[in-house]
Amino acid sequence: MRTSRFLLILLALILGMALVACGGTATEEPASSPTEQTAEEAAPAATTAPAEEAAPAPTTAPSTSGSGKVQIRWFVGLGTGTNAEQVATQEEVVADFNASQDKIELVLEIVPNDSAVQTLSTQIASGNGPDVIGPVGWTGSNSFFGQWLDIGPLVEASGFDTSVFDPALVDSYQTEEGQVGLPFAVFPAAVYFQPALFDEVGLAYPPQNYGDMYELDGEEVEWNWDTFAEVARRLTIDVNGLNSTEEGFDRTQIQQVGYQPQWQTHTNYMASYRAGATKIYEGDTPGSYVSTMPESWKEANRWVYDAIWGEQPFAVPASVTGAAEWGGGNVFNSGRAAMIITPLWYTCCLGEFAAAGLEFQAGILPLGDDGEYHGRVDADTFRIWKGTKNPQEAYTVLQYLITTGADKLLPVYGALPAIPDKREDFWAGQTERYPFLSPESIAVFEAGLSYPDAPSAEQYQPNYPEAWSRGQTFFDLLLNTAPTQLDFDKEWDQLVTDLEAIYNRQ
Amino acid sequence: MFEQLNRGMPQLPSLRAYRALSSVKRREMREGLLFISPWLIGFLVFTILPILASLFFSFLDLKITDGILSTPKFVGLRNYQQLFNDPQIWRFGSQTPGSMWITFRFGMIALPVAILLPLGLALLMNNRYLKGSTPIRTLFYMPYIIPFVAAIFLWGGMLNPETGWINRALMNMGVPRTMVPNWANDVNWVYPTYVILGIWGIGNAMLITLAGLQGVPTALYDAAKVDGANAFQSFRNVTFPMISPVIFFNLVLAIVGLFQYFLVPLVVNNGTGRPGGATMFYNLYLYRTFFVFQNMSYGSAMAWLLFVIILIFTVLLFRTARYWVYYAGEARS
Repeated sequence: MRTSRFLLILLALILGMALVACGGTATEEPASSPTEQTAEEAAPAATTAPAEEAAPAPTTAPSTSGSGKVQIRWFVGLGTGTNAEQVATQEEVVADFNASQDKIELVLEIVPNDSAVQTLSTQIASGNGPDVIGPVGWTGSNSFFGQWLDIGPLVEASGFDTSVFDPALVDSYQTEEGQVGLPFAVFPAAVYFQPALFDEVGLAYPPQNYGDMYELDGEEVEWNWDTFAEVARRLTIDVNGLNSTEEGFDRTQIQQVGYQPQWQTHTNYMASYRAGATKIYEGDTPGSYVSTMPESWKEANRWVYDAIWGEQPFAVPASVTGAAEWGGGNVFNSGRAAMIITPLWYTCCLGEFAAAGLEFQAGILPLGDDGEYHGRVDADTFRIWKGTKNPQEAYTVLQYLITTGADKLLPVYGALPAIPDKREDFWAGQTERYPFLSPESIAVFEAGLSYPDAPSAEQYQPNYPEAWSRGQTFFDLLLNTAPTQLDFDKEWDQLVTDLEAIYNRQ
Repeated sequence: MFEQLNRGMPQLPSLRAYRALSSVKRREMREGLLFISPWLIGFLVFTILPILASLFFSFLDLKITDGILSTPKFVGLRNYQQLFNDPQIWRFGSQTPGSMWITFRFGMIALPVAILLPLGLALLMNNRYLKGSTPIRTLFYMPYIIPFVAAIFLWGGMLNPETGWINRALMNMGVPRTMVPNWANDVNWVYPTYVILGIWGIGNAMLITLAGLQGVPTALYDAAKVDGANAFQSFRNVTFPMISPVIFFNLVLAIVGLFQYFLVPLVVNNGTGRPGGATMFYNLYLYRTFFVFQNMSYGSAMAWLLFVIILIFTVLLFRTARYWVYYAGEARS
């Protein structure tokens, strides 16, 4: 009897332990807790084929709140918008919107960035997706290719005047899925340069008007990639004060570079800048996909490789830029780079540069080999889920966010407004931080909005996260490997082979 | 050694033998099973079930982003077919080799160090002329008790090209700044760096080898000396055969560890494969396929391939053991 009782207690204990072991933790993070956005390794999740068919068909039954209003859920987490200040502002915008409405109730859902993809994909798969999603860039949205609503008809029906935007920006959101967004937060690219370093070697500054020529050795020449490279070589100085074009230049002891591929370190970025945007795959089902990266993209990447490893280098390998004296990767901020090419968001990270008394200005991007300018515009916006039950109401919210709401949202997102009338405050903030920033430089950035990469350098590719990662590995190889160890053509062919294998993996 | 371990393992009786047991013995067995049942349940639920699930997944088309409520399709051997044709796994002889070749290439450097260095240190510790062997032995073992991730961060600081004391010491010795290694960020230095990091954890292998050395009867050395054997002959004909089970044990663990190599590239190079894809070890690629690319089915197929490869290597090692591993008192077949 005693034994049986003992065994019963023991059994209960075992079951209890098993239950505890199988249970979740009691201290799970609340869904709304704000977190900082994670770095690049918060890679988006994969989708292989366009998931158009997977999107639940919209139904007409409206989801209403207790007050009888149509409830619209705004999902934040795929991009910026999750830090405390941003959350507070977003809540304020939601309150403002709701106060102005008697038909729609806007509900904010904040999801930590590192779990946003999984949360959203689960919501979508269960047919319970949010209505409005954003701010989100291309990378974040690629994970949900096929799930975005074509808002073109809604824009047209609403009578919203899209001419407030640069037409090129509106067109950049025209994808295979239709018009998937409207411009909101934009970051046009430009050549950042240090005038003082140009002065030191007696070179003219990069032009500040698209279409202008460059003066080199007393002659007017096109500001193209060859000119850019030549200027960069003359600005690359070794420990003995020699530049890269001079006899005796010591490439092992470079003290200053003319150019550095900084934070745009992906095969697609450099190719888009130099050779222009293009769709880089064809096919519509796994098994049929082929890589269509043009020869010009290969040459664009070879240009970067030669910049680092060529006979007259004007950039340094990653092993050098990682050093503290080179800014730990933030080379331009260290003052050691005369030029870099990057979008406007880079103004985030020039505090030490400015504090050291250094100055930068913006120049136009070089002319491509095809005689066209090819820019890049990083952009975040709001999108509508294809399966929303209330597309009209969701669009009303979206339009509010990119217009009225933008006044409060864009300052906390730190982005240039896509609507020109709203830019004054942004530039006032920039010139407060960087008093030396000239009106001409501001004009260069704004002019860059006319040259977006469409399709984006971050465009959708099948099995996007892995395909993107492979391109990154290739570029990393260029930054790290000398020609004695690397056959560029062979590696490029392998990149294409790998991409096709990734695209076609089911 | 494994045979010796197996000999000591209690065996569950067959059903007929169980029925033949006395009631007391039966009750003892039932209670025994009951006592270990928390572990058994945990093993079934958290090990056996996931293993079987991963085998099942490997025949499906399952991705997390397809959603938990979507119905995965049965695709037969398609994942395995793609796996055997994946250039990112099998490519040989390139600057961006396949992850399997990366693993093998690293193994060629790391395995000899993982076997020979503990052996060398153990021989040193076992040397009667070494004064203070006990504190030295403790010192060599101590790093092993430090959590490996903490140790990796520690080494990351030491090997920092700019602020690490190793490069600073090199520069103080006159090595030009441009010539000091960039360690984990240089395609040429990253494997040696990882090997150096691995040395941190050899204390355990050293201790096991030392235990083996101390178990060699001194009479054998005396006999060898009488026969005129020099130190090398003594090592070759006495020490090595007598500690060969220990070396075999270390080798098996090292090979299994090589194929499972993951933590160091994940922590040191953020699991990105940097520099230039040189650190995309098979197990890291497997991890990324699962948790970054979220392709559960392909990742499961990769996991099973890893299991099969480790099994093959282990079986091959066991097959070769009869030729070079000596178990005292065991009749050779």
